[in-house]
Amino acid sequence: MGNQNPLAYDYTVAKWFLWATIAFGIIGMTVGVFIAFQMAFPELNYLFGEYGTFSRLRPLHTNGVAFGFTMSGIFATWYYVGQRVLKVSMAESSFLMAVGKLHFIVYVLTILLAVVTLLSGITTSKEYAELEWPLDLMVTLFWVLWGVSIFGLIGIRRERTLYISIWYYIAAFLAVAMLHVFNNMEVPTYFVAGVGDWYHSVSLYAGTNDALVQWWYGHNAVAFVFTTPIVAMIYYFLPKESGQAVYSYKLSLLSFWGLMFVYLWAGGHHLIYSTVPDWMQTMGSVFSIVLILPSWGSAINMLLTMKGEWEQLQSNPLIKFMVLGSTFYMLSTLEGPIQAIKSVNALAHFTDWIPGHVHDGTLGWVGFMIIAAMYHMTPRLFKKELYSKKLMETQFWLQTMGIVLYFSSMWIAGITQGMMWRATDEFGNLSYSFIDTVTVLHPYYTIRAIGGALYLIGIFIWAYNIYKTMKSGRELEDAEVNVNKSPMAENR
Amino acid sequence: MFHWLEERPFFFAVGVFLVVSFAGLIEILPNFAEASRPTVGTKPYSGLQLAGRHVYIEDSCNACHSQLIRPFKNETDRYGMYSLSGEYAYDRPFLWGSKRTGPDLMRVGNYRTTDWHENHMWDPLSVVPGSIMPAYKHQFTQNADLETAYAEMVTVQSVFGVPYNKPITMKDGSSETVKLGASFEEEKANMLAEAKLIAADMKNQDVKDAVANGEIPKIVALIAYLNSLK
Amino acid sequence: MKNIIIVSVVVSLVLIGIIYSYVGNIIGDDMVNILSMLAAILILGITVGVGVKYVNQMKNDTASGELADENWDGIGEYKNDLPIGWAVVFLGTIVWAIWYWFAGYPLWAYSQIGEWNEEVATHQEKFEEKWSNISEEDLSRMGEAFFSVNCAPCHGVQGDGMDGKAADLTKRLDASAVEYAIRNGSDNHLVSEYMSMPAGLLWNAVEIKQVSNYVASGFTGIGKDVYEANCASCHGMDGMGIPGVGANIRTFTPDLIKAVLDNGKKGAIGSMPSFKGRFTDTQEKAVSLYIEKLRKGEL
Ligand code: HEC
Ligand code: HEC
Ligand code: HEC
Ligand code: HEM
Ligand code: HEM
Ligand SMILES: [Ca+2]
Ligand SMILES: [Ca+2]
Ligand SMILES: [Cu+2]
Repeated sequence: MGNQNPLAYDYTVAKWFLWATIAFGIIGMTVGVFIAFQMAFPELNYLFGEYGTFSRLRPLHTNGVAFGFTMSGIFATWYYVGQRVLKVSMAESSFLMAVGKLHFIVYVLTILLAVVTLLSGITTSKEYAELEWPLDLMVTLFWVLWGVSIFGLIGIRRERTLYISIWYYIAAFLAVAMLHVFNNMEVPTYFVAGVGDWYHSVSLYAGTNDALVQWWYGHNAVAFVFTTPIVAMIYYFLPKESGQAVYSYKLSLLSFWGLMFVYLWAGGHHLIYSTVPDWMQTMGSVFSIVLILPSWGSAINMLLTMKGEWEQLQSNPLIKFMVLGSTFYMLSTLEGPIQAIKSVNALAHFTDWIPGHVHDGTLGWVGFMIIAAMYHMTPRLFKKELYSKKLMETQFWLQTMGIVLYFSSMWIAGITQGMMWRATDEFGNLSYSFIDTVTVLHPYYTIRAIGGALYLIGIFIWAYNIYKTMKSGRELEDAEVNVNKSPMAENR
Repeated sequence: MFHWLEERPFFFAVGVFLVVSFAGLIEILPNFAEASRPTVGTKPYSGLQLAGRHVYIEDSCNACHSQLIRPFKNETDRYGMYSLSGEYAYDRPFLWGSKRTGPDLMRVGNYRTTDWHENHMWDPLSVVPGSIMPAYKHQFTQNADLETAYAEMVTVQSVFGVPYNKPITMKDGSSETVKLGASFEEEKANMLAEAKLIAADMKNQDVKDAVANGEIPKIVALIAYLNSLK
Repeated sequence: MKNIIIVSVVVSLVLIGIIYSYVGNIIGDDMVNILSMLAAILILGITVGVGVKYVNQMKNDTASGELADENWDGIGEYKNDLPIGWAVVFLGTIVWAIWYWFAGYPLWAYSQIGEWNEEVATHQEKFEEKWSNISEEDLSRMGEAFFSVNCAPCHGVQGDGMDGKAADLTKRLDASAVEYAIRNGSDNHLVSEYMSMPAGLLWNAVEIKQVSNYVASGFTGIGKDVYEANCASCHGMDGMGIPGVGANIRTFTPDLIKAVLDNGKKGAIGSMPSFKGRFTDTQEKAVSLYIEKLRKGEL
């Protein structure tokens, strides 16, 4: 049994990343809500000249939430969880401390430059890999720094066996490194031709090959940014917050290696009925179905960890966020495989059902887990009691409502759109011109935007609650910090 | 007994890496050479078209528009013949997109014309009531970045062997050549010659004047690109 | 607990109801549409079901099992076995995948292009069977829908050219189009590849105005003299055109429309693309019929 005496963990870098998570969360999701409203009310495209069009802002949203909000959340939890489950303190190594700080600085600089370049239209257009090569290099740099931090801390650990969360952080690190390098292979044109913009590049791959590499990347970016590190979080924060032991080690093990093995093969489901060979598409389809089980494995393991602890689900809003989070994880990892079935994909691909699926996962799973993780960390980082439990409850219900509105409207929109595109009249000619299939979606776009706005209000409540905790939360004694359930002001 | 790997971070990492990397090879490599061969009749982009393609990317039209026609009757009825792999041989990056908020544009050059695009990009609602596409008026006042387009032509020619200045066999057996000037000035002249043809079909007087003065507004390059999508 | 089930069932039903009421008529007898609907319903169903099951377990069971020795930051781990359902289904999907791959739907036995060919052939067969003797009225109905998908983006849903963005098809020609043809000539292959109208047949501005108005107003008013002296030799006294010589400039005819669809058209307004090879003869006939009705105001 481990030593329960807490080490003097150094949370400096974790705190910095926590602030970054909140800041980028607000920016990224405000843009998300804005573009959602633009799809319902296109006049909103003209508020900021060329910088305010839907098409300039959409990449800003995706990059802001994936590489700003989610990645900050991942790093914040790493600099917290890493120390604790390896049982070493960052304070023990001035080298690792310096690496951590540099990691943060390079990272924030990169994201800020990303905002500026994307707004100016400097992009390579490949989804989730829009940044041009100078920024790709900066990403590589902060990724290497994160790797040094991971393996450095592991190198000086006191806990012999790596905890499950660490497996998932390692996997995220390695896989993203590989994906990032290969998908961003590009030739800077200025260095070949001597004229033009110095930051412009041209992809090393062309056409179908470029598509294959891109969706091998894109699909696994989902796996190793929106999934594995978030699983790392739930494996730490749910047992910790609830005080329950993880339900089954065997299930953790099989789910982990199953996920590692199967995920990479499924990228072909983004290219169904495209010009890649039929067998590659089929492979993507088949592996997507198999993928349900390793995905559900972790979620079930977490739900069973709560066995007999229903009461906590009612009394502790943090548990609510996490349990609903893993439920949404199950929803999106069932929905995804269904969309990967060829005949379903024929209908769903290119429609709004895809963004619907995306946000089941990102709002319900990624968002909720990061929100819960930051709430759990706050009292420990600042030795303050969480400012208001009531606000947490309000936030939870607002955001849950928001997600339901988001995905239900997009399901209907997507299926309507898909069916109208293929509908034919009695003569076998197309029934609808394209614009008919656009105007019919107006109500659903409006509902989605309202749902998004509810979620965003929740994000502001979250930021406010954490801010108030730091400013005016009750100071905690050491003993109060080392309990499982996060200390929170029960009556406020 | 299962803990062997989990106590040895190095081997654990190697194990993870192996498991995640080999799927990629099988997924991508087998078709690599095959997919890079152009179909008969596929030409590289001219300088002006490439500059237009950069405008398309800069304004992220791919956020709403796909360029991939799937082999379903409803799609071939709406957009034209389904896409073939070799038609994308000169697309760096590919622009298939993943969401059709607007229609597919793979062959839009077949069924829309310069003057229609001019009206539509200036104000989509004026030609398509109910459209939710933004207007792109700034493309009428800002000039296209011809240098960067030229740099890309030179790069793809020298690094990837894209056949500029070489005869390319068309579907009907005739042959065509896409020019690449030996210097930027020379290529700019090619671009301007093409731009003049487009501007002649346009109505916006500022754009026409700009082209007459040897400048190329973004919209002219973009239309050259859209017209080339066939 | 009961409330959760009731609420989820009600929500699911309402969603399905909304979807159905909206798109039910489109679903028709298309298997793929039905399958996709079922898939969507399945997602809802299974998620609700599994969610309810685990929530129940959280509520009623108690944590049990043998704790492992390790402990990380106070987090323990049970040595529990795999949940049997999970393990069986996992194995099942793997077996299914192998079967599907090699036997069920072998990877060498399918071609998406082949499927397209089949789809098109089936459509043609069905069409011929059902519409081989299509009535004029059906043709015009067909033309209307066809027009709204393929032509309305330029000519407007009403065919009125949307404030001059494309030709106003509710009349044959407006005065500016006639004037443009007189001043610039016309070379759109309307009557044949070889015939075109030279520019400069008239140069007197007053005469040009008069004859343009005469043609545009359906061959009424002043300008008749000018027309008959200068134009009738090619276009005929009544403007109905002379085969192989001059275009019909009074009404639309299937030949004229076919010529426009095949060659596109460039004129005063701008240009119309060529649709050569995109449409079937029946579709072209249908749309010409529809356009002629538009012109006559018979719709
Ligand atoms: C907010 C989404 C959105 C963005 C961004 C967008 N479009 Fe569109 N686009 C649409 C919609 C919706 C339509 C269909 C309605 C219409 O024709 O306006 C459309 C139609 C078109 C069409 C007509 C195609 C056809 O078959 O009728 C062209 C061409 C086009 N867009 C080009 C562009 C270009 C070029 C850009 C970028 C500079 C762009 N679009 C950006 C939504 C968008
Ligand atoms: C030499 C024979 C000839 C004479 C004389 C002639 N036309 Fe034409 N006209 C044609 C031909 C041939 C066409 C079709 C050209 C084409 O294919 O675009 C045509 C086309 C037109 C069109 C365009 C129809 C369309 O749909 O755009 C108009 C308008 C027209 N003529 C009006 C006149 C008027 C008015 C006059 C007298 C001033 C006139 N034409 C004299 C041969 C003639
Ligand atoms: C890209 C836009 C566009 C599309 C799509 C289009 N048209 Fe046109 N069409 C035009 C324009 C512009 C003109 C006028 C050309 C001119 O005379 O300046 C025109 C002219 C015509 C004319 C000649 C009218 C006359 O009185 O001379 C006919 C007939 C016509 N279109 C029919 C059709 C039909 C049928 C379709 C659909 C299958 C169609 N068009 C699709 C743009 C379009
Ligand atoms: C078993 C797991 C999953 C499978 C098999 C799966 C499958 C799919 C499929 C088939 C698509 C649509 C491709 C298309 O037609 O365009 C898709 C899109 C997407 N999914 Fe999933 N999904 C899974 C889980 C998740 C999760 C958990 C998330 C996020 C948290 C997620 C995020 C996304 C995103 C962001 C896209 C959009 C990609 C794009 O830009 O086109 N997926 N997924
Ligand atoms: C306030 C909540 C949010 C709203 C209102 C919102 C809205 C949107 C909208 C309108 C789009 C474009 C959809 C389209 O083009 O049709 C989009 C795309 C996307 N969003 Fe969000 N978003 C929100 C939060 C998030 C979060 C938290 C994440 C990730 C953690 C996320 C990840 C994405 C991704 C990956 C896409 C691209 C999907 C695709 O290409 O298919 N969003 N979002
Ligand atoms: Ca990049
Ligand atoms: Ca996408
Ligand atoms: Cu995927």
